[in-house]
Amino acid sequence: MTTADPAPTGALAVDEPSSPSPRRTPRRGRRRWDLDRVSLVAVFLGIPFTFYVLMVLYPFTQAAYYSLTGWSGFSPTQPFVGLDNYVRLAQDDGFMSALGNSLTLLVVVPAVTIVASFALAVLVTFGGPTSGGVRGLRGSGVYRVVSFFPYVVPAIVIGIIWSQVFNPANGLLNGLLTLVGLDRFQDFAWLGDASTAMPASIVVIVWAFIGFYMVLFVAAIRSIDLELFEAARLDGAGRFRTALHVAAPGIAGSVRTAYVYMGILALDAFVYMQALNPTGGPEGSTKVVTQEIYETAFTRGQFGLACAMGVVLAVVTLVFTALVFAVVRLVRGSDGRTA
Amino acid sequence: MTHPETPTPTGRPVQRRTLLRAVSAAGLLTPLGASLASCAASGSGSDSGTTTSAANTGDPKNPFGVAPDSTVDAVIFDGGYGTDYASFAAKTLEGEQQGVTVKVSGTTQIAQELQPRFVGGNPPDIIDNSGANAIGLSAIASQLEDLQQVIDAPNLEGTKIADTLYPNVLGVGMYDGKLAAVNYVLTVYALWYSKTLFDDNGWAPPKTWDEALALGAEAKKQDKYLFTWGKEAASYYLTMLLDSAIKSGGDEVRLAVANLQPDAWSNQALLDTLAKMEEVVKQGYMRPGGAGTQFTAAQAQWSQAQEALLYPSGSWIENEMKNATAKDFTMTGAPAPTVTDSPSMPYEAINNTPNEPYVVPSKGKNTAGGLEMLRVMLSTEAATNFAKTKLAPTIVSGVVPKDAFGSSALASQVAMLEGAGTNTFSYNFVAYYGMTADVNVLFNSFLSGSSDAKTLAAGMQKISDKIREDDSVTKVQVS
Repeated sequence: MTTADPAPTGALAVDEPSSPSPRRTPRRGRRRWDLDRVSLVAVFLGIPFTFYVLMVLYPFTQAAYYSLTGWSGFSPTQPFVGLDNYVRLAQDDGFMSALGNSLTLLVVVPAVTIVASFALAVLVTFGGPTSGGVRGLRGSGVYRVVSFFPYVVPAIVIGIIWSQVFNPANGLLNGLLTLVGLDRFQDFAWLGDASTAMPASIVVIVWAFIGFYMVLFVAAIRSIDLELFEAARLDGAGRFRTALHVAAPGIAGSVRTAYVYMGILALDAFVYMQALNPTGGPEGSTKVVTQEIYETAFTRGQFGLACAMGVVLAVVTLVFTALVFAVVRLVRGSDGRTA
Repeated sequence: MTHPETPTPTGRPVQRRTLLRAVSAAGLLTPLGASLASCAASGSGSDSGTTTSAANTGDPKNPFGVAPDSTVDAVIFDGGYGTDYASFAAKTLEGEQQGVTVKVSGTTQIAQELQPRFVGGNPPDIIDNSGANAIGLSAIASQLEDLQQVIDAPNLEGTKIADTLYPNVLGVGMYDGKLAAVNYVLTVYALWYSKTLFDDNGWAPPKTWDEALALGAEAKKQDKYLFTWGKEAASYYLTMLLDSAIKSGGDEVRLAVANLQPDAWSNQALLDTLAKMEEVVKQGYMRPGGAGTQFTAAQAQWSQAQEALLYPSGSWIENEMKNATAKDFTMTGAPAPTVTDSPSMPYEAINNTPNEPYVVPSKGKNTAGGLEMLRVMLSTEAATNFAKTKLAPTIVSGVVPKDAFGSSALASQVAMLEGAGTNTFSYNFVAYYGMTADVNVLFNSFLSGSSDAKTLAAGMQKISDKIREDDSVTKVQVS
């Protein structure tokens, strides 16, 4: 703990006014290790770092190691098999199709959510009447609150609610469709048809997050100088143009953050998919990697293989994040970091 | 989920199970950390410990030599049957053995909770390894006691346990020549119907598939369907298909599919049965929408709304649907129909694959206590208590009275078992190899009419081939 400290106390050494030593040019950040500083470092850096190493880095490394073993999950030993698990994954149709489904979610879910919530944010911030001050639609406060509701509902509850909405026999959706005369939707299994199961699941996830990102974008748009909107309007820009050329560039940072968050969520998607289609959907069309991991580990007793899937998913997540940062930086130039 | 081969008789609604499972998994599966951290194990424990290995003492009162004043650690799947029947047996054991205490703990997360204990070398003394989160038997089989010693032991009344059991109920627990698991609850796989509805209309449960098709036409006249199904339980139709085909083609059908033979799904009896089922689908006798319907909701279409006449399932169905069954339903079971009226096995033959596999880990602190617990459960008192409180028979025969405690379904199970005699068969390869998810995919497409018999057979063969060719999967030779 205590570094060799020649001065009686740290405070004295610093405060001594008459010391002639040339080394006495106290530069900030080069302070001695006094008790104050040591305890500060210990509490605010040491403890969290230890915790991080123990609870995050160690399990990660451990899981990465297990991915090189044929561990069943229940034996005290883990036979080392090298890269066999990865080779098996590459040849495994089930895993590759699950990976494909996860990538589909990764591409579609963030894009749809962000475009839709941006459109809603535009409507409630400056989509209002073109005369008078720049403002949103009438009653936009209400819309804002209402659209936030789904975010407050736990994911599993959303999954259960929507699986009832999609219920072929007495679900809300088929009820409404047959009510307006679309009889072909009588008993139509939205989650049981390979062509509709994935889109239906995507709708649910988008529905759950649209309100949250709308609120996020509203806050970001509000932080843009109002004069810019007024100037754009005076120059004759319509709402669409204003949205595209004033609002969108102004909130690029928020969009990037939203994209990364939504992307990671889409790669997970476990709770939604498990609630909507615990069996992986018709023809496996909604089975995602996280479900495959769960099944491989706990019902098939192949933890080594499941860990390998986890590593692949982690790599995909990292690559995705890096890509988003790179693209945003490319589009916005070097100031991509600001905003 | 209650898959036919997954030992999960459920009385509680699935939402709760799905929710528990999803919530617990959600905790593990937050992105990144998710996938990785979920694999973490606790450190390996030492193998040493106060393990008392079971030594057969020859004392009929204490055949396994349970140490006085020892503790038995029992972990019981807390599913449709709850844990009170195990607590009942625990009380009996405590009365029989001097100073022994039994700690019964219930859980639905068998694999998740016990995984670190197996890795650490301190598993419980006896486990009811059941439910959606059961441990795959192949993963732990080498760490389990051979339970034949319990079967050879006398029960509390002094009769050899082997002589008290229904025929053909131990085979599914065999693993590499060792009785690794004793499945406690006898499950009769049948076609279930409302006796009241059938009597009112003068219908009889179909003995052949042609009779089934004729019944389907009758049902259509009343705007009803012959069958219904739910997306998680489409595999029940695999059970019906196999049961029917095994009765038609004999035991070789069962051996071929269970041993994953390369030509198993080209068997003529199987294909003939499948062709009849395809006709049922083509005629529109399946209630539409099953591929998108949660399975208990689908079952209620049969038991509550009575939109479908028949439902193929295990005998847990009565308990599972007891809050969603129409009044005066009089749930009754009938054996699966066959293609011809002169099958290899008599019409009365049934699939009686038992469920709730009890295992005794060799590394438990008190294996003798674990074995003793199982011995008590297989004795008359505990078995009668189970049948009476759960309205389901155990593998112990002769404990259900004629009135079947007032349950029509239990009465018909006992009647079917008596009718079948030794013409019973069982298999659990679907659950053993973890095939249920893949089977559901194929059957959801088949039953909704978007694929056909040919695609289904080819798909089943492909699943089977994949497992057979996977060297990392330990195979069990079924005989």
